[in-house]
Amino acid sequence: MPGRTVSRRQFLKHAGATTALLGLSEALVPQLAKALQELESGKPPVIWIQGQSCSGCSVSFLNSNYPMVAGLVLDELSVRFHPTLMAASGYKAIEAIEETARELEGRYVLVVEGPVPTKEGGEYCTFGVEKETRDLMGHTVPKDKPINEWMKELVPGAAAVIAQGNCASFGGIPGANAGVTGTTPVMDIVAKIDAKKPVINVGGCPSHPDWFVGSVLDALMWIKGKKGAPDLDRYKRLRTFFGTLIHENCERRASFDAGLFLEDWNDHSPDMKLCMFKMGCKGPVTYADCPTRRWNSGTNWCVGANAPCHGCAEPTFYEKLAPLYEPLPDVNFIGLSPAVDTLGWVAAGATAVGVGAHYLYKQLGKKPESPSEGGDE
Amino acid sequence: MARVITIDPVTRIEGHLRIDVEVEGGVVKDAWSSGTMFRGIEMLLKGKHPFDAQQVTERICGVCPLAHGTAASYNLDDALGVELPDNARIIRNLCLGANFIQSHILHFYHLAALDYVDIAAVANYEGKDRALKILKNKIVNLVETGDVYPFLPRHESEDYVSDPELATTLVGHYVEALEMRKKAHEMLTIFYGRAPSFVGTVPGGVTTGPTILNILTFKANLAELRNWINDVYIQDILTVAGFPAYAPFMAAGDSGGNYLAYGGFDEDRKGTKKFLPRGLIYDNEVMNVKEFDEEEITESVKHSWYTNQCEGLNPSEGETKPDVHKEGAYSFVTAPRYDGEPMEVGPLARMLVMKPKPLMDLVGKLGLLDKTPLKFGILPRHAARAIECKLIADEMDKWLDQLKPGEPIWDKKDIPGEAHGRGLLEAPRGALGHWIHIKGKKIEDYQCVVPTTWNASPRDKEGNRGPIERSLLGIPVPDPDNPINVVRCVRSFDPCLACAIHLVHPDHNGVKEFRVV
Repeated sequence: MPGRTVSRRQFLKHAGATTALLGLSEALVPQLAKALQELESGKPPVIWIQGQSCSGCSVSFLNSNYPMVAGLVLDELSVRFHPTLMAASGYKAIEAIEETARELEGRYVLVVEGPVPTKEGGEYCTFGVEKETRDLMGHTVPKDKPINEWMKELVPGAAAVIAQGNCASFGGIPGANAGVTGTTPVMDIVAKIDAKKPVINVGGCPSHPDWFVGSVLDALMWIKGKKGAPDLDRYKRLRTFFGTLIHENCERRASFDAGLFLEDWNDHSPDMKLCMFKMGCKGPVTYADCPTRRWNSGTNWCVGANAPCHGCAEPTFYEKLAPLYEPLPDVNFIGLSPAVDTLGWVAAGATAVGVGAHYLYKQLGKKPESPSEGGDE
Repeated sequence: MARVITIDPVTRIEGHLRIDVEVEGGVVKDAWSSGTMFRGIEMLLKGKHPFDAQQVTERICGVCPLAHGTAASYNLDDALGVELPDNARIIRNLCLGANFIQSHILHFYHLAALDYVDIAAVANYEGKDRALKILKNKIVNLVETGDVYPFLPRHESEDYVSDPELATTLVGHYVEALEMRKKAHEMLTIFYGRAPSFVGTVPGGVTTGPTILNILTFKANLAELRNWINDVYIQDILTVAGFPAYAPFMAAGDSGGNYLAYGGFDEDRKGTKKFLPRGLIYDNEVMNVKEFDEEEITESVKHSWYTNQCEGLNPSEGETKPDVHKEGAYSFVTAPRYDGEPMEVGPLARMLVMKPKPLMDLVGKLGLLDKTPLKFGILPRHAARAIECKLIADEMDKWLDQLKPGEPIWDKKDIPGEAHGRGLLEAPRGALGHWIHIKGKKIEDYQCVVPTTWNASPRDKEGNRGPIERSLLGIPVPDPDNPINVVRCVRSFDPCLACAIHLVHPDHNGVKEFRVV
């Protein structure tokens, strides 16, 4: 009984739920329905390629709940190329990209999962082959085609580019080795090809399926003229998802204000949710709606599992947020409005009798005595 | 006349894999497996806080982050001298088990099944099942609009399962399986916060302890998954494996008969008793399981894109570098060998070492043991994965009953000035090892030897092919423009290339360097 296939009616119901999640006003719902109706007669084509990725954002996309992924792939989007989903292999798969790029120029959405390495002619990440040949133990075979070359071919004809996940957006974990491979965020590659090409970054390592699906829908509605340009922050992320500070919305904020910190995982009690700050929580410097959206169909989220937020939605993840399990060494409030953080931290200082002066010092922005030298372990 | 054909990208696997095969007289005469993406995760760990290893290494792979995160935790436990509390050991087993379920279901339905099932046959469905009729209308609609992406185009094959009733049922299960693998992820987030990347293990234990409520929630999810695995997954495997046209795939795709399992899912505090046993098999002698000795593992970079000058040196000395211009090299994957031999790792290796009753019954039913020489090819690889999925899911229910709410979940230990550690376990795709060297309370060196590194390896310094390369020899390719059988064979290994590609030790016993003395 494959009862989980989604009818169009069900999809619209889910789309309603999605718009609610997106924070769009109810008045937009009829427009979204209309946009989707139009999409139904000619589904928007998507080319999804992978750079130096781990496929984690593809797997996270499969966890999409509203709308469910089967509906998205079967009914709503025309996924022309996706390395982990598509039936075709080899030249047949490549033909699907080339045909789409040729016949639907200016209309397809290009999703890039993972950043693009540029050193050594881009040889650190390739798929498909080129006309030139090379030697393979005495046989003449076609050369590998770098993803950087694919970008040069596919970006000009794309209606918009979606950088899927933290490393595609900002370099992320593979970016920490950029000195060797030349790992470059997607937006920087796109800017060199066409500075005016719209790019939306979807943060998160991995990205939340809602963040990704919401960003794609937002771009599609804009392309179709159904709404204005996406409302992006300075890191090209949708404000809808990346506009609020985790720390300000955390369900354990009261514990922080009261100075109740978790310092031993055996202290965990279902009735007393302790603040993860001393375990290295990066919630005070991370903008994402995880506390309210939660993960995996709303089952849980990082702090909910009694673990610190690692800041994986931030452009600074991973290198600049390490060490992950040490308290923030000095409070460097990138992009925070002074009113919000000063108030938040001062209030914390005033009420938190249990917080040592050591922490208050740092919280009030004074330089720690020995910066980032792993303290507590 | 011999001709080399290139398949790039091999899709429906994790990552960037290229396969070249030399075809002569309608069969594969030679094969080359190339991993074509490099990041250098181990390089960036040097100098970092040891606790970060598990968060960074789980990002090696988005399909099996649980395996890396758990291996890293055991690795750090070993280096720190942790006495892992029972609750922590069991919760780690449960969450890793949940990811086995997720990964195995994903592999058969979403990565492999489209090689066997004719999705277009759904348009001819005449049955009465309401849900299947909705599915049929959907497919008919897609065909009429000429947009059946991503299911078409594809390589055609005369032997696809094209009976409309059967094909529609299987495609229906493809859709159901999306929900099932998602449920398996939701189940593990009860303890681990989120998936695929997760936060619930730390060196010394786990972050969320058992409560009556979370045990029962986990149990309810697991019950639904167990039913589905029994009633749908196992039955579908039997259906496809029993399809007469696929009989040659019982033996075709045999990787040479060498199998290696590190063993996994510790059942006691010291890890001496494991649910999936440790052992080795040579030359398909499945009744003769040998003892595993870590010191026999070596790695070769002769045909890999890494400098040869690093020979005899350790990457921590800064000499190991990728070299994309190296003569004779064709892959970023290195060639790990056990006692000089290529070894297949993964569900088939584990099940042959374990020989559980359901597998032996199936092997008997299919008459595999009567065949000489004994060979396990494409279909046994799929069957072993399904049986393993069932065994683990069933065992998980028993592990849940062993959890003790209120008892410790963490053993706090300080980071030593200098220490070595290792974490060996079984990932969904096979034997996984992490090794660490801590110096000055920081990571001095970190190394992973990963399942697909074994399976997708290129030739070693002696010229021995890797398991996937070897499995392709003799695979029928009647039409050189249609390599469907080649990709069927490659996919049966469930390759994960993001995992496989690492900066590793050169042609010396690198792993030995990290051995805990």
